[in-house]
Amino acid sequence: MRKYLKIVTTTFKEYSAYRLNFILWRLRMFISTAITFFLWFAVVGGKNIQFGSYKESSLLSYILFANLLYEFAMGTRTVDVAGEINNGVIINYLLKPVSFFKYYLSRDIADKLLNVFFAIFEIGILVIYFKVSLVIPKNILLAFLFLLNGTFISFFLSLMLSFLGFWTTEVWAPRFLFFMIVAFLSGAYFPLDLFPGPIYHLLLLTPFPYLYYLPTKILLGQVDSIIVLEGAMATVWVFLSYKLTRLMWDRGNKSFSFWGR
Amino acid sequence: MEQLKRNLKIFILFSTFALKSTFQARLGIIFFIAGKILRFFFFFFFIFLILSKTKVVTGYNFTQAAIFYLTFNLIDTASQILFREVYRFRDYVVSGDLDLILTRPFHPFLKVLLGGVDFLDLFLLFPYLAITFFFAAKLPHITFQSSAFYLLLVLNSLLIATGFHILVLALGILTTNVDHTMMIYRDLSTMGRFPFEIYKEPIRGFFTFIIPIGIMMSFPPKALFQLLSPGFYLLSFLLSLVIIFLSLRLWDYALKQYQSWGG
Repeated sequence: MRKYLKIVTTTFKEYSAYRLNFILWRLRMFISTAITFFLWFAVVGGKNIQFGSYKESSLLSYILFANLLYEFAMGTRTVDVAGEINNGVIINYLLKPVSFFKYYLSRDIADKLLNVFFAIFEIGILVIYFKVSLVIPKNILLAFLFLLNGTFISFFLSLMLSFLGFWTTEVWAPRFLFFMIVAFLSGAYFPLDLFPGPIYHLLLLTPFPYLYYLPTKILLGQVDSIIVLEGAMATVWVFLSYKLTRLMWDRGNKSFSFWGR
Repeated sequence: MEQLKRNLKIFILFSTFALKSTFQARLGIIFFIAGKILRFFFFFFFIFLILSKTKVVTGYNFTQAAIFYLTFNLIDTASQILFREVYRFRDYVVSGDLDLILTRPFHPFLKVLLGGVDFLDLFLLFPYLAITFFFAAKLPHITFQSSAFYLLLVLNSLLIATGFHILVLALGILTTNVDHTMMIYRDLSTMGRFPFEIYKEPIRGFFTFIIPIGIMMSFPPKALFQLLSPGFYLLSFLLSLVIIFLSLRLWDYALKQYQSWGG
């Protein structure tokens, strides 16, 4: 356990060493959140508009909370793994007395904590400047449990994409496609229940709504009547994605060869 | 003229190399194009969703909102086709390979700015053009004059995009950071997917006159709808010249500060 804590603190130090890089990264994240927020603020801000089941405060709260939880669920360093497989650096991890999965999970924890910390301030700026009346978060424990599931799903999916590096050097294109799908189907731009009913229910069969859409909805106090089923489905996706990731890892290790290190 | 011919020859040579390396990654072609097509349709749906629920895009109907979105796609795609090499610039700086480019007997922009034409985006430009033409044909009061001004302003937007890319190159030399500055520009430009009237002041003013994303993305469709007053045409052309001038000055300054980092 201590060695993984050390990895967390080392990752913090790594970020503080490359400060400009981190500041620019946060600026990008802030701009991205702000643009979605500006759009919805223009649509519902100061107007008595009902958008689906959302009014001004619930819709703006959704956008801001979803972007905050996005940082936690989706923030990851596992994108580096594909490159490390392709250039052979991964051998260094295999030789060390650390679990590869736990090593990257520790790095991810540091990444998530740091990003969420800054995101809270950035979102605070938007809330204060635009005088947003936020919905007071509810069901925090339940939302956290769902978020934990979403975080694991995201972690394993991202690792799977990186493990493609065991078989091909073309690792960025599948990730790009995956990112495009996630961006829309996980609820970053708008709440997924604005989709027509049948599409929304089909989406609930995929892993995407479990990443941070459902945790955000729960925080807003909008708990679906099928929450138990949704919880079960999220757990199934964690289990499935874990098993598939392990399978790819085992197969990948067997087929992997590298030279010159 | 002789110089122009020579530069064109070098540009074609680099573009041929880029085409060959694009076809080295066949799986990548499929995934990248699929991702871009998905993103295109997803945002189309997003615009439709907003317009179907509320008449918020003041004064604009769905066809007009679609033309704003399509114009953004045309300008964004065209600039990615031309300036893809900028995304690889950091490697040249940190590895010291930039020295090898600077010492060659052609202008470095031929390599670092225009040297990696993105053929994947080129494939997408034609459907975007066709869809834009389809929606533009549905406009009731379109004239030859408004279409000509639309084209002229799209070209002007590409000039502004050129300026921004040169700025990114210059900042790349000064800070060795290219990826984030490039993506900040890309993120900001995505505001142009929607008519700028949707944004409230002071956001609208800031992103029209200080960081001229509004001028780049919103002015051409407004010219097509004949909603742009003459003063704004002049402002648009003047601004692109100012940005090009400033970016070239910063590039010159950055070159003077450049020290080979690696090698």
